[in-house]
Amino acid sequence: MNVLIVEDEKSLAREIEKFLHSENFLCDLAFTGTEASEKIAINLYDFVLLDLGLPDYDGLDLITEARKMNSEASFIIITARGDVEDKVKGLDLGADDYIAKPFALIELLSRINAVARRKFRVNTNNISLGDFEMQLQSRKLMNNHHEVDLTKKEYDLLQYLALNRGKVLTRHQLYEHIWGNILDDQYDSNFIDVHIKNLRKKLNFHSPTPWLETVRGVGYRISSEEQD
Amino acid sequence: MLKLKTKLSLFNLLSKIIFTALFLALMPFLIQRINLRQVDNDLIQKREQVIELISEIGIEPFISSDSSSSFGSYNILKEEFISLEKINITEDLNYIDVTPRLLDEEETDYRVLNYSFIVDGQKYLLEVGTSLNSILRTEKNIKRLMLLFLVSIILITSFADLQYTRVVLIPLDKIRDKLKQISDPGLFEKTPVKTSTSDFVLLDKALIELMNHINLLFQKEKEITVNISHELMTPVSVLRSKLENILLEKELDPVVEKKTEESLTTLHRLQSLVSSLLMIARIESHQYLREDTFSLKDLLTEIISEISPVADDAGIRVLTDINDDLTVSKANRSLIFSLFFNIVNNAIKNTSRGGEIRIKGKRTNKGLILSIEDTGKGLSDRQKKMLFERFRMKDPASNDGTGIGLAIAKSIADFHEIKISVSSEPGKGTMFSFVFPENS
Repeated sequence: MNVLIVEDEKSLAREIEKFLHSENFLCDLAFTGTEASEKIAINLYDFVLLDLGLPDYDGLDLITEARKMNSEASFIIITARGDVEDKVKGLDLGADDYIAKPFALIELLSRINAVARRKFRVNTNNISLGDFEMQLQSRKLMNNHHEVDLTKKEYDLLQYLALNRGKVLTRHQLYEHIWGNILDDQYDSNFIDVHIKNLRKKLNFHSPTPWLETVRGVGYRISSEEQD
Repeated sequence: MLKLKTKLSLFNLLSKIIFTALFLALMPFLIQRINLRQVDNDLIQKREQVIELISEIGIEPFISSDSSSSFGSYNILKEEFISLEKINITEDLNYIDVTPRLLDEEETDYRVLNYSFIVDGQKYLLEVGTSLNSILRTEKNIKRLMLLFLVSIILITSFADLQYTRVVLIPLDKIRDKLKQISDPGLFEKTPVKTSTSDFVLLDKALIELMNHINLLFQKEKEITVNISHELMTPVSVLRSKLENILLEKELDPVVEKKTEESLTTLHRLQSLVSSLLMIARIESHQYLREDTFSLKDLLTEIISEISPVADDAGIRVLTDINDDLTVSKANRSLIFSLFFNIVNNAIKNTSRGGEIRIKGKRTNKGLILSIEDTGKGLSDRQKKMLFERFRMKDPASNDGTGIGLAIAKSIADFHEIKISVSSEPGKGTMFSFVFPENS
């Protein structure tokens, strides 16, 4: 898929590019609004990651322009402002999602994938985890045709790990994804550990879960399929 | 402590009473003086009349020139008398004094004018007298009238003073109320108080100007905080992406992986601090809306369901007793959620295994009250005092993070005009009480 990264902070743009490239996206960079406007007019993008804090342009105007040109690109707004107003305006103009700086690259990817799932109906296959099967459409975890009873948070946690299969997710990345910013001092919270512990307890009751790994000192990971 | 108008009225009343008392103390003497002079004048007038009469009709009708008899005339009640007699002394007499007279075996004091004059070579003594009893009676009457008059004057003027002071001080009361009502200089009423007293106009004007100035400074400070936080977020973003990219490298050395994760954790701390400051600045500059109406019980139920896995894991029971009919309005639900989530989470962190957290909500005559009580280690007085301060000194034994959580809680509560009170006993537990404002 083609992604245009509109971000005036060059080093951040490059890091996003590097990350998305490793996830097999084709990336293009625009450091100014004018540059972005030209590129959107010429090229076809599936996604535009749009930083609203551009020096020469009101980022929201780019969405309006793109819509006028019948561009099919999905916009994901990035902003450091975190203002509710911007968020609402952006979504009203047809942006598909909104992410506040600083964000986890994994979180950005998961937002892109979620939009892609909605739009192109890709990645909607069920995910198999050992003896379990995760049904993304109905949000159910099945074990030998029996549904495993999970809380909403436990399911979200498992799905996030499953969708990022093979990658280590830190506690913070998991926390941010699931709880946002409710807690001020997330860095010492053991919310994730407790939920993983409960998840393991519930799943092990049905079948063993060697695929759900703890990476000591770092976080958690669901091992990639080939290692199963 | 007394109100200004009470003080002024009291002073007025007191000064009047002192003056009156002074006057009453001096009054007998004054009245006596005035009365005596009046009586003496009367006596002198009578003497003139008698002398005139004698010069018209001669002395014979009263006293025959050859006999040694004297003339005396009393009125019926013996309050006054006039007497004439011959005397044989050389010096002239003309004085007024008080002398006792024996009348019908009764001694009575008279004010008597003595006057000597010569008719046809014979010297006569004229005495004109007035009974002191009648003088005293007049004095008494005057005194009584005076007292009545003074008391009425005191009462009437004091009442008038009180009313006038009250009316004159109304603008001051208004200015005081304006100050009392607000919790933030930005909320100070800008319309001047109506008054014809220049001092109050000046006071009000000075206050409005001062509040505007303070407000401007606050605004600037908040803007600076918001801007600094924004500026900090960009480098944090870059750093975070770089570290995350490193962590995603294939076949990463475990030592590097661990170090990178540690760096990320530190970065998260920084991010958490900056975003907390940003949040406080946003709350304080009223960038959040207060438009939600919701059930307090539903909100707390939601918080508890979020937090119960952690509480269960820590072996802490969470008990709730919240009335169904508690509705909060004109509030920002997600901020209130954050507030109580943090307080409950804080309580769990500070309570050891087997402890309890009790959440109670009810409507009392003070308003809607929610209390969150734990059986944790409690707080010392010093800790209690610094509880809501930003970046307070941490107790090295506690693990309560950056300590900014309660500062956020405080700013959310202030934003909603919720009053927080903390009571705690070391070793027994801590209770946070939240009193919601009347209109919510």
